[in-house]
Amino acid sequence: MEHSFKKLGLAITSSPTGIALLKEAKRLKDIFNAELFLIHVEEKTPEAEKSLKSIIDNSGLSFQDTQLIWASGDPANTILNTSKNAGVDLLVAGALEKEGFIKYYIGSVARKIMRESSSSLLILKEPSQNPKPFKKFYVATDFSFESERTIRMTYNFALLEKAEEFVIVRDYDTPGLASTILDSVSIDELETVKKQWQNEEEEKLRMFIKELNLKGLEIKTCCLYGKEGWETSNFVRQNKGDIFALTAPRKRLKLIDRIFHHQLEYSFEKLPSNLLLIR
Amino acid sequence: MQLTSEQVATFLLSISLMLLMAKLFGELFTKMKQPAIIGEIIAGILLGPTVLGMLSPDTFNWLFPSDTSLKVALDGITTLAVVLLLLVSGLEVDLSVVLKYRRTALSTSVVGIIVPFAMGFGLSYLYPQLMGLTNPDMRLVFSLFIGTAISISSLPIIAKILIDLKIFKTQIGFIIISAAMLNDVIGWLIFSLILGMMDAAGHGFTFAETLFLTLFFVLVVLLVIRRFTNKAVPWIQNNLSFPGGILNFILILGFIGAAFTEFIGIHAILGAFILGIAIGDSVHLKEQTREIIQQFITNIFAPLFFVSIGLRVNFIENFDLSIVLILLILAFVGKVTGCGLGAKLGGLKKNDALAVGFGMSSSGAMGIIIGLLALQYGLIENNLFVGLVIMALFTSMTGAPLMNFFLKERKKYSLENLLNPQLTFYTDVNTKEEIIDFLSGIAGKNLKSNSVEISKEVLAREKTNATGIANYLAIPHARIKSSRPIIITAINKKGIDFDSSDKTPSKIIILLLTPLGENELQLRLLAEIVKKFRDKEKVEELLNIKNEKEFIEKLKK
Repeated sequence: MEHSFKKLGLAITSSPTGIALLKEAKRLKDIFNAELFLIHVEEKTPEAEKSLKSIIDNSGLSFQDTQLIWASGDPANTILNTSKNAGVDLLVAGALEKEGFIKYYIGSVARKIMRESSSSLLILKEPSQNPKPFKKFYVATDFSFESERTIRMTYNFALLEKAEEFVIVRDYDTPGLASTILDSVSIDELETVKKQWQNEEEEKLRMFIKELNLKGLEIKTCCLYGKEGWETSNFVRQNKGDIFALTAPRKRLKLIDRIFHHQLEYSFEKLPSNLLLIR
Repeated sequence: MQLTSEQVATFLLSISLMLLMAKLFGELFTKMKQPAIIGEIIAGILLGPTVLGMLSPDTFNWLFPSDTSLKVALDGITTLAVVLLLLVSGLEVDLSVVLKYRRTALSTSVVGIIVPFAMGFGLSYLYPQLMGLTNPDMRLVFSLFIGTAISISSLPIIAKILIDLKIFKTQIGFIIISAAMLNDVIGWLIFSLILGMMDAAGHGFTFAETLFLTLFFVLVVLLVIRRFTNKAVPWIQNNLSFPGGILNFILILGFIGAAFTEFIGIHAILGAFILGIAIGDSVHLKEQTREIIQQFITNIFAPLFFVSIGLRVNFIENFDLSIVLILLILAFVGKVTGCGLGAKLGGLKKNDALAVGFGMSSSGAMGIIIGLLALQYGLIENNLFVGLVIMALFTSMTGAPLMNFFLKERKKYSLENLLNPQLTFYTDVNTKEEIIDFLSGIAGKNLKSNSVEISKEVLAREKTNATGIANYLAIPHARIKSSRPIIITAINKKGIDFDSSDKTPSKIIILLLTPLGENELQLRLLAEIVKKFRDKEKVEELLNIKNEKEFIEKLKK
């Protein structure tokens, strides 16, 4: 299996972040040596064309390097469909504003893309006019087959970036545990059990990484006890990671996942860093 | 009205006696590896009309006067205790884990409620006298209540069983926990609506109004209040004294919720429970906070509550064998078939599903609370109440052993059980391919599957990454189509090159085959094997052994 991206897609707008996003996309296109599709959702008028051209020129990209696709319709769906039809395997997009309460349940364009994209996704939190390589990579794992692939893809990305840090994080939770106190379990007993679990998880993580057999960059590990999804997300935020890679769920996330917090929603709701969602 | 100094003294004395007895018997039962709640209830029976009241009615009446303001005071404490118990139960409900295992959890808990509910409801509706109904007007509500009382499960008891059986942190453990959580949520909602239906509190709301208000309350708390508490919790933990501030916050919100639901004509418990869920969902709520609040309730309010159960009724006078037997049969048959069937529909294997069924059959504290509330509202008589308490205690005692019995199959998957002298061989071959072929042949025979395929898988795995570990060990392994894992061990005369990290050839070759899709099992077993080979001297001693049985015994040590 190839663990790299061949066709990048970028959803662009004619805004200042648009230029930054284009510059970031150009850099990614170069390091992955990939094709780049620019998806622009707007009515194609001479003015719109002109302003888009000036942005693209500004970014250092040339029209020969890229394919520009004009599309119209509902932004999120159009971006998703267009990139799917073009065979994009990594869709790049900028993060939008923080969501308010109502917006959280209804969902904005960026969140809709996160929840429904059929390709892998890179959400850039603060696209820069002077893009720099990503240095600190964090990947979440649950030991599943899918997350193995996520790690391989991300590792390859980290190698291309000559990253300084590559950390695989596992978080696990034991909901309902404290309730056993009601059935006379002492806090000491709970501590002992938790310590055993922690050792077991660390050992499993070590074996998991050994099994992956990745070479070229040192792999650090971390096992966190607490709410699944949130702990890792918070850890990445605190350590100021550049890329946080997650495995996309098998099924698309729905409203119910927002209400009861699917583990990915913690990272979607408040981006801990740039987010790489591997599908 | 004010309590006299003497009354206050009696009150305090009775409370201290209740706590003392509860602790003594609770600890005794814990030592006997039984739920503490059983001991606490027995303490109450001893202190109550059943034993003390019989032996020395004067002492009993002096300690627990029945018609004075002291009784009101004690009732106040039990109400508080019930509300607090439900509040902490709510704190431990984690809706995201329920969501994660939604398919199995949902079918286990829903079918696990429908079947016992239908059985309990059907039987009591058809034969109300059998269950001790005295007021024929209440037939419908009464039957609905019996259905609910039979369907409820107890999370603390179930969680404790899972820890004791060492399966808390496994997939089946999470499925049982999430099903039990969902069972609580659905069970308490139904029960509250039944109370609303009979307008127990007499607020004059119609059933439709109560239903609407209840749903409105649940939605507002889970959608709005939950987000608010998630913001408030970290602020409180950082800015107010710990743990005082956060405990205070949890109690205040819990009591407000309880007051609201009491006001709309369903019981206070639902409000406390739902608020508990909302607060417990906060990612910022420290585990320590959960433990402290559990300790606080467990050591003060829970024992008072459980002892007070025995104080209320005479367990001997009100013991009705036929009711007890019917309830026990309903509880076991209903709960085990319901939850078992649900778990099976949710994708579990037969024995696992049965284990889930028996695990979920423990109704524990929840069964007792539900019975007490019905008693207080005059919905049931003393004999049915006694029956429900006995049912709750009995199912709490049998849950663990029965579950253990059906989980035997699964427990075989531990390294201890997989290391088998009959699957251990002294060999003398020269290459990696030869030894893998040999081991795969044995595995194929044992698993009744194609050994050529197995050997192919293992060799393919070998190509991607060497499986030689230091200290003469190699663990060739693969994930194969099989329902169970297997370990075959070879001790080879010559060292074989498995590209070990310490460059020594491997002499102990352990073939590990695990079912496809069970990644964690493979990782766990690999980790456990490697751990056994950390000490080079021990491995050299192992190599000196010339007998399969001794070898495995030494390895297991």
